[in-house]
Amino acid sequence: MNYSLTIEDQKFLLHPSGALFWPKKKMLLISDVHLGKVTHFRKFGAAVPPSLIQKNFELLDMVMDEFTPSHLCFLGDLFHSNINSEWQLFENWVGSKSGTFTLVTGNHDIISPLKYESLGIVSREEYVIENFYFTHVPTKKSGMFNISGHIHPAVRLSGKGRQSLKLPCFFKSPDQMILPAFGKFTGTHILPVKSDNEIFACTRTEVLKI
Amino acid sequence: MQEDSLYKIAENWFEDQGWHPFPFQRKTWAAFLKGKHGLLNAPTGSGKTYALWFPIVLNYIRDNPDYKERHKKGLKAVWITPLRALSQEIKQSAERVTRDLGTSLTVGIRTGDTTTRERAQQRKIMPDLLITTPESLQLLLATKGYASIFKDCTAIVIDEWHELLGTKRGVQVELGLSRLKTISPKLRIWGISATIGNLEQARQVLLGPESVAYHRSVLIKADLKKKITVRSIIPKEMETFPWRGHLGIRLLDEVIPILKSSKTTLLFTNTRSQCEIWFQKILERYPEFAGEIAMHHGSIDKDTRLWVEQAIRNESLTAVVCTSSLDLGVDFAPVETVIQIGGPKGVARFFQRAGRSGHRPGQESVIYFLPTHAIELIEASALQKALRTQTVEDRMPYLNSFDVLVQYLITLAVSDGFHPDQIYPEIAQTFCYQGMSEEQWHWLLNFIVLGSQSLQSYDEYKKVDVDDTGLLKVTNRGIAMRHRFQIGTIVGDANLSVRYQKGGYIGSIEEWFISKLNPGDVFTFAGKNLEFIRIREMQVLVRKSRKRTNKIPSWMGGRLTLSSEMSKLLREELYTANAASSNQSLEIASLEHIFKQQKRESIVPNPDQFLIESFQTSEGYHHILYPFEGRFVHEAMGSLLGYRISLLQPITFSLAFNDYGFELLSDKEVDISAVIDNNLFTTDYLLEDLQKSLNATEMARRRFRDIAVISGLVFSGYPKKGIKMKHLQSSSQLLFDVFRDYEPDHLLFQQAFRETFEHQLEEGRLRLAMERIAGQEIVWKKCKQPTPFSFPIITDRLSRERLSSEPMEDRIRRMAARLMKK
Repeated sequence: MNYSLTIEDQKFLLHPSGALFWPKKKMLLISDVHLGKVTHFRKFGAAVPPSLIQKNFELLDMVMDEFTPSHLCFLGDLFHSNINSEWQLFENWVGSKSGTFTLVTGNHDIISPLKYESLGIVSREEYVIENFYFTHVPTKKSGMFNISGHIHPAVRLSGKGRQSLKLPCFFKSPDQMILPAFGKFTGTHILPVKSDNEIFACTRTEVLKI
Repeated sequence: MQEDSLYKIAENWFEDQGWHPFPFQRKTWAAFLKGKHGLLNAPTGSGKTYALWFPIVLNYIRDNPDYKERHKKGLKAVWITPLRALSQEIKQSAERVTRDLGTSLTVGIRTGDTTTRERAQQRKIMPDLLITTPESLQLLLATKGYASIFKDCTAIVIDEWHELLGTKRGVQVELGLSRLKTISPKLRIWGISATIGNLEQARQVLLGPESVAYHRSVLIKADLKKKITVRSIIPKEMETFPWRGHLGIRLLDEVIPILKSSKTTLLFTNTRSQCEIWFQKILERYPEFAGEIAMHHGSIDKDTRLWVEQAIRNESLTAVVCTSSLDLGVDFAPVETVIQIGGPKGVARFFQRAGRSGHRPGQESVIYFLPTHAIELIEASALQKALRTQTVEDRMPYLNSFDVLVQYLITLAVSDGFHPDQIYPEIAQTFCYQGMSEEQWHWLLNFIVLGSQSLQSYDEYKKVDVDDTGLLKVTNRGIAMRHRFQIGTIVGDANLSVRYQKGGYIGSIEEWFISKLNPGDVFTFAGKNLEFIRIREMQVLVRKSRKRTNKIPSWMGGRLTLSSEMSKLLREELYTANAASSNQSLEIASLEHIFKQQKRESIVPNPDQFLIESFQTSEGYHHILYPFEGRFVHEAMGSLLGYRISLLQPITFSLAFNDYGFELLSDKEVDISAVIDNNLFTTDYLLEDLQKSLNATEMARRRFRDIAVISGLVFSGYPKKGIKMKHLQSSSQLLFDVFRDYEPDHLLFQQAFRETFEHQLEEGRLRLAMERIAGQEIVWKKCKQPTPFSFPIITDRLSRERLSSEPMEDRIRRMAARLMKK
């Protein structure tokens, strides 16, 4: 179930997968997919299950089908390493979709922008639409609301009876929102919560405001 | 040369020293020279090294009658020790023999401490006698042309085999031996073990259960009777002695007279942090001991450790505070007294520590037991009984450790490559893999060659290649290099080295401890107060500090648990609490006021009673059950019962265990009468329920961590080299989730569950315990406040297990209200 949230008078939908949808612009935002990571590990002799490769594409299909965006924007770390065989799968995937694609590049995105260009994907270091400022690494800019990734945020919850849970989350401050990592083969990083933060935790099926 | 004249050489040597060979030494010489394999059961300090170095050298003399004039180079014998700290000691005794008998045999050491230069020299010419560790033996098998190194090897000795037996390093040794049996035709395999319950099995594991070697082997027992006296240190003011705790510092003053009246005293602590604290506190309160006491544990820099060991021999120290690091090897004649702080959790270990004192044959061993909390006195009392009845526990060997096998196969692929058909029979002969099926074998081969069970398009997996002849070989240099680094990582956590900023190595410390520190924090390590500056390339940089601190690194280490024999003794001791004081031991009698307090709120159970207590605190609802069966059985029973209760109602538990009982803690109350009415203690569907409960807890996940590292699924970086391989780092936790969700039948994933079952939960023992409980009356006490029995359990904050049958979303909603905002 999606969580509907208004930021700067704009409605956004928070999806349990970590994707963020901006209905007015029909724009889907996805961060830290880390395609190619499984293959990269396997090339170096670590036998991560190969079935995981397909899983990322299935997840991408799922959110594309649900929101049918006209614009898909990756907020960095789309591809984990230099080119490997997963690039071909990515090419096929992009070819099967319509609409515009943008990549706001991240620290892992070392593949030449020309390769992306040949698929019709525009690479850029930052992206401004109205008063929203999209980056990979969280970056504040005065008068703007920053939407970013990079951190793979998670939150630690604790309850009575010494219970505790760790969950990936959308991490919001007054002028910033950090998206959880979308990729299936990525870790998380627990962020300390301050009083002006809002946390939206992702379970398998729901996004819950904490 | 005739055997008689060979023995004469040895006998003469002993005579020259003014010694007499023990019967077990003579028996071992004879068996060895007849070409037999064997297991020698002899305690530390009994002359076991001479029992085996002698026949190795005598055999060389027999084969080379002109040994005084000519010296044939090349490896003749390998001595494996689990602790590289012991290698110097072993080398010295070997050199004494080789030199005094007039041979030119050379003795060398090859461990993680050996320099690259020395290694390279050894590769050119191996020493005649090589002292090494299980890991370094494995590394030798990863060198090109290893078969020629071992071709004339006549003996391999596995020292302290009981320490390796129940571990994966033991499996590593089993595999190494399976290869050596083929490439060293003249090899004799000998193990040396302290007394354990399953000595006969220890021999099978060493040699292979149905192997030719096993049928040509002997078990020799030293049978050195030793008088051991145990004295409990009973607090003078029992009323104020704490109900919980693990340090024992309260009794520090009682220890001082013992130290002062004895020549050299060893104080054994159970953890390195406890060791640090005791050392610190003695000096704080009794500064006059400065320079007379020292500290010894596994994380302290090697030179310091060697210095301490030497100082014990020179009798220049009054006392040494130590951990299990001084359990093995090293002969310290001058030790007069041993103090055990806190329960040793094992009879064999306790005996061995006791044996550290009065080391000379015929001398009496004295060991003091210092309790860290009141209930531990029951343990002291039970230990004395164990001593009288000679009860010793088993060390359970591993079965089908596929992670170690994967590592071994890649090791062989890295050096000369291997043909599966040739290696399979060797492996199938080992104890560990005797039950491995052909399917599993093929699965493993697929795993190392394809990285999965079927060839996938677009796959770029690279590890082991197959050439035209069917030889499996690693051709990629990077993979070979990473594998060699990985071999040493079979034990433990990620360790960082601690150094002064200006240089100078102090020791190594577990990463998770450092991760809790902020720059500027002061912590105690190696007896020094250190200020944490920063981490640079796997090194913790520190400077000396004058600030006081209460941060002391703790090491997770292996948690020990009571054996079933010891648990039984413990229960029996406890039941005497209800007996007449004339039938009570000193320890039990001293606990009178604790039992009184216990009886005020609850009861002290009789043999026919099973006690359950429940009470509420600010933390939630506590439910404590007391089977008195040892920690592992409690872990199993706790998760089993937690799981069964969670079927009655959606509930989330936090579980804690100790050797006496376990706790189910929840934010909801459990109706214990419903537990009894629904017969939740039944042994029906025991296995199924236990398996399901495992999925609900995190135990297997923790087991998976080691498996992932050993099998090379995760790469831990280059230790000490400080080379970061960030792009290749992933956590075993993440991998565990990935396997659970996408490849649950993966053999290495399954292994985590199997190991939890076989080595942690001990299903067999659980069943027996449940059957015993079935014959008991369940007594449920609703208490107003925590009882003395419950106290050590409910205050355990470290090692808790979790289990839940509630929808995650519900739990989040409840917790959400409690999120602490800063």
